[in-house]
Amino acid sequence: MVICVKNKKEEEKFVIQVQNITKKYGSFTALDAINFEIKEGEIVGFLGPNGAGKSTTMNIITGFIEPTSGKVIVDGNDVSKKPKKAKQQIGYMPEGVPLYGDLTVKEFVTYMAEIKGVKRKEKKEKVEKILEETGLLDVKNKLTKNLSRGYKQRVSMAGALVGDPKVIILDEPTVGLDPKQVTEIRALIKDLGKNHTVILSSHILSEVSQICNRVIIINKGKIVAVDTPEHLEQKVIKDNSIYVTVEDPENKMLKIKEKLEKVEDIKLISQNEDKTKKYIITAEKDVDLRKSLFETLAKEGITIFEMKKADATLEDAFMQLINKPEEGGKE
Amino acid sequence: MWSIFKKEFKSYFLSPIGYVVIGIFLFVFSVFFYLTTLEYGSVDLGSLYYYTALYGLMIIAPILTMRMFAEERKAGTEQLILTSPISMIDVVFGKLLAAIAVIIITLLISFMYFFIVLYFGTPNITVLLVNMLGFVLVSSAALSIGMFASSITENQIIAGIITIAFLIMSLFIQDLNNVFSNLAIMNFYQKFPSGVISLTEVVGLLSFTAMFTAFTIIVMQRRKLVK
Repeated sequence: MVICVKNKKEEEKFVIQVQNITKKYGSFTALDAINFEIKEGEIVGFLGPNGAGKSTTMNIITGFIEPTSGKVIVDGNDVSKKPKKAKQQIGYMPEGVPLYGDLTVKEFVTYMAEIKGVKRKEKKEKVEKILEETGLLDVKNKLTKNLSRGYKQRVSMAGALVGDPKVIILDEPTVGLDPKQVTEIRALIKDLGKNHTVILSSHILSEVSQICNRVIIINKGKIVAVDTPEHLEQKVIKDNSIYVTVEDPENKMLKIKEKLEKVEDIKLISQNEDKTKKYIITAEKDVDLRKSLFETLAKEGITIFEMKKADATLEDAFMQLINKPEEGGKE
Repeated sequence: MWSIFKKEFKSYFLSPIGYVVIGIFLFVFSVFFYLTTLEYGSVDLGSLYYYTALYGLMIIAPILTMRMFAEERKAGTEQLILTSPISMIDVVFGKLLAAIAVIIITLLISFMYFFIVLYFGTPNITVLLVNMLGFVLVSSAALSIGMFASSITENQIIAGIITIAFLIMSLFIQDLNNVFSNLAIMNFYQKFPSGVISLTEVVGLLSFTAMFTAFTIIVMQRRKLVK
C-alpha cells in the first residue's frame, strides 16, 4: 500500500512509469517484473546485450506489445486502457527503421503527422519545421527507399518527432551508421533532449555515457542497474583493483586468494578466445598487490599476459553487472 | 481514416498494382463484352458485369488486397501504425475504401462499353447503374475477404492464395450443401444483372463485408497480445 500512495504523489513528475512489467513467450520470460520511472526532460539509455529485452521494453511502452502483466503509464495515461492519449505523447523510432519505400520523405512525414492527428492547419508548417530540424530539407522530395541508411534513420526520427510528443523513444538509433553519421545523429539526439524526454536503447556503452543522463542496464529481462553513467563508473572503481589476463589451464586462479595476503576478492570477468582469462582482483585499502601478485602467479605456473591497475569505465561496470549471477535483479 | 485512405490509394498508383488491376479488369470486361453483348447483338449490359464480377474478382481481389497488412507486417511499418494514436477501425476502413476506390475507377472507365452499345442501340442506363452498384458491393465483399487473409499472415503470396482459394471454393461449395450457399458471394449478385435492387442481396453483401472487416479489426487489435 505504501508504494501505491507514493506513486500517486509522484505521478506528476514522471512522464513514464513502468510498473511490474512481465512479458512471457510461452515458458520463456523475456521481461521479468521490471520497474522504473522516467522524469520529464531526461535522456535515458537502455543498455544491455542483444536479446536482453531492450526492444521488448520499448515495444511495451509504445503499446505495440501488450505485457503479460504489469502496466505502463505515459503522462498519466495507462497505455493499455487509454492507448490513444498515451500514444499521442510518444514518438517512436522502431528498430530497423521501417519506412514506406514508395513515399517521398515529405510525404512520409506528412503521413505520420496525419495518423498522429496533427491538425490540418498546422500540418504543413510542422512538417516543414521538422524536416528542417532533422536536416532533411535537401532530400525531402526523394523516395525514402533510395536514401542512405543515415538519412533513413533521420526520416524515421522525423516521423517520431512529428506531432510534438513529450517522449521520444529511439530503438538503436545509431546501428548501421558510419562514424560521421553516428556523430551527427548523437548531436541530433542531444538537441532533442532539450525539449523532449528521450529514451534510447543501445549496446554501445560510450554512446550511452556521452548522451544520457541516466542509464538503465538490462540483462536477461531484468534491470541490473539504474544510475547515472558517472555513478556507475564510480561504483566499480575500487581503489585497489587490478585486472590480470592470464593463461590458466588448471584453473588455479581462484585458489590464489589463499596464497596472497590482503586480497579481498578475485572475480572472473571474461574468457577470451585464446583461452586466456581476465580477472579482477581487489585488495584491501592502500595495498599495491602488483608485485606480490606477479611473484605468486609465477610460482604457481600461471602465465600473466597483461596486468593493469583498474581504471574503471562504464564498460567495466557493464561487464561486471551483466556477469553477476542471479542476485542482480534486486537493484 | 481519410489519411490512411489517401496514402493507400496513392500507393496503388505509385506501384504498378493500380494500373495492373485496371488493365486486367478492362481485359476481362472486354472479353465478356464481346462474348455477352457484341456476339449476340444484345444491348443488355447486365451479364457483362455479372461475368466480370464472377471471374474478374477472382484475380483482382487478391492482387488488390494481398499487400494490405502482410506487407506492413513484413516491412515493420505495422509498428508505426500500431504505435500511433490512430484507431484500428480507421486503418482497416481506410485500406478497404482505398481498394474499393480502385474498383470504382475501373467502373467509371467501363462506361465506355455503355457508349459503344449506345452507338448501335439503346441500352438501359438504370440497369447499368444498378449493376455498377451491385458490382461495388460484391467487390467490397471479395476485398474484405482478401483484407482479412492479408491480416493473418506476413506472407503476401499466402494471403493472395487464401483469397483465390476462398473465391474459387465459393463457386462450388453450394453444390456440396445449401448451408454453405451464403458463403458464395455471387449468390448475392443474382438480381442486380437484370436491374433489380434486392434488399436481401444488398444486406447480404454488406453484412458479408462487415463480417470480414470486423474479423480484420479484431485480428489487428489482437496483434499486440500475440506479438
